Amino acid sequence: MTGLLMQMLEGTVTSLQIFFLTLIFSLPLGFVVAKGRMTGIRIIRWITDLYIQIMRGTPLILQLIFVYFAPYYLFGASYDRFTACIIAFVINYSAYFAEIYRSGLQSIDKGQYEAAKVLGFTRSYTFFHIILPQVIKKILPALGNEVITLVKDTALAQTIGVSELFRVAQTASSRVFSTVPIFIAGVFYFVMNYIVSRLFTAGEKKLGYYR
Amino acid sequence: MKEMIRLENLSKSFSGIEVIKNISFTLTEGEVLSIIGPSGSGKSTMLRIITQLERADNGTLTVDGLTMFRSVDGKAVYSKPDELRAIGLKMGLVFQSFNLFPHLSVLRNITEAQRAVLKRDKAEAEEKAMSLLKKMGIEDKAGQYPFQLSGGQQQRVSIARALALDPEVLLFDEPTSALDPELTREILKVIRELAEEKMTMAVVTHEMHFARAISDYAIFMDNGVIAEEGAPDELFGNPKEERTRKFIASFEE
Ligand SMILES: Nc1ncnc2c1ncn2[C@@H]1O[C@H](COP(=O)(O)OP(=O)(O)O)[C@@H](O)[C@H]1O
Ligand SMILES: [Mg+2]
Repeated sequence: MTGLLMQMLEGTVTSLQIFFLTLIFSLPLGFVVAKGRMTGIRIIRWITDLYIQIMRGTPLILQLIFVYFAPYYLFGASYDRFTACIIAFVINYSAYFAEIYRSGLQSIDKGQYEAAKVLGFTRSYTFFHIILPQVIKKILPALGNEVITLVKDTALAQTIGVSELFRVAQTASSRVFSTVPIFIAGVFYFVMNYIVSRLFTAGEKKLGYYR
Repeated sequence: MKEMIRLENLSKSFSGIEVIKNISFTLTEGEVLSIIGPSGSGKSTMLRIITQLERADNGTLTVDGLTMFRSVDGKAVYSKPDELRAIGLKMGLVFQSFNLFPHLSVLRNITEAQRAVLKRDKAEAEEKAMSLLKKMGIEDKAGQYPFQLSGGQQQRVSIARALALDPEVLLFDEPTSALDPELTREILKVIRELAEEKMTMAVVTHEMHFARAISDYAIFMDNGVIAEEGAPDELFGNPKEERTRKFIASFEE
C-alpha cells in the first residue's frame, strides 16, 4: 500500500512539473504570439494566425504524438519523452493564452493609450502601468478556465509514455484489480483545481476594486 | 505678446481623403481660441496633430518657439524625438470621453505623470494634486475611483490631471459633449475660471454662448477648411458666411 502511494506521489510530482513548466513558458510566450497576431507585418500575422488555428483545431493528444515522433521520422533522432511533452504543451497553451491576451488587449479603449501619450508616459511605462493592469483584470476569468483545463490535460502526457499521475493510477489499478488508485487520482485533480479556482477567484476579488 | 502656437498651411489626409486643407492660425499666450464647426469638419484631427496623436502631411507648427514640424518640399518634416517630447510636455489635452485611468484612484490619476514623467517626489505630486482637486471643488474625491464619480466630476479630474503637469497650452476637444446640461455647466465654469487666470487654451465646443463669452478669437471650420474666423462677437453675432450663419443658427432653439 505504501508502495502504491509512493508511486502515485511520484506521478503527482510529474503532473505538477508538467503543469508548472507549461505555465512558466507559455504564459510569457503567449504574449509574444499575441503580439505577432496583432502586428502590422502581414506575413508574420498570417503565420501566427495559421499556428493558432492549427493548435486550436487539432487535438492536443495528436500534437503530443507529433512532437514526440516527428523528429524520429524526419531526422532519425529521438529524444526524451518528458521534454517532448513539455514542448507540446507549451506550444499548444501559448496559442490559447495568445488568444486570451489578444482579446484582453483589444478590449482596452484606445483613449487610454492616447491619454498616456499626451501625458508624456513612455511606451513601456504605458504598457506596464496603464494597459497591463487593466488587461489582467479583463482576462483573469478566461485565464482561470484555461489553467483548470491544463490541470486535466496533464493526463494526456501518458500518450507518449510519460509517467504522470493518471498513467501511474491506471497501471496500478490493473495490477491490483481495483479502481481505487484511479479514484485517488481523481481526488488529486479535484483538489488541484479547487486550489486553482480559489486562487483565481481571490485574484478577481482583489482586482474588483474598480470597473 | 508671445505666440504659443503658430500653425501654417496644415494639411492632412486619411487614405487619400483630405480632411484638413491648408489651415493656419496662431494662438497668443494668455488667450483663448474657440473652434466650432460641424461634425467631421476636422476639428479633432487638428487638435490631435497638435498633440502628436496624429501626424501632419504638410505644414509648419511651432509651439512656444520650438518647431514640431516644418514644411519642406510639400511635406511635413518632424523634429527630433527629444524635441518632440519637449513640445509634448508643453501641451495638455482634455478629451470628450475623459479617458481617466480606471484602475488608479483619483489622486493617482493626477500624480502618476507628475512622478513618472516630471520625476516629482510623492509629497510634491500629491500636494499639487490636492490643490488642483480643491480648485475643481472635488478634494473629497481624492481616494475614490473614476467609476464612482459623475461624468462632470470625472471631467474635472481629467482637467486637473492635465493641469498637474503645468502645460503652457491646454486644448479641449468637446469637453462637455458627453455630459448632460447641468454637468456641462460645471465644466464650463471651470474652463471660464482658467480663462480668467490667463491660461492659454484652444477649445473645440458646441456651446456657442460659452465660446463667444470666453474666447479672444474664434474659428469656424467646415469640411477641412477655416470657413470663417475673427473676433467672437463678429463671428457669432454677425457672421459673414452663409454656412457659418446656418451652423450657428442650428444651435438656437
Ligand atoms: N483615424 C482616422 N482614419 C480615417 N479617417 C479619419 C480618422 N480620423 C478622422 N477621420 C475622418 O476625418 C474627418 C474629420 O474628422 P474629425 O477631425 O474627427 O472631425 P470633427 O472633430 O470636426 O468632428 C472625418 O471625415 C473623419 O471620418
Ligand atoms: Mg471631434
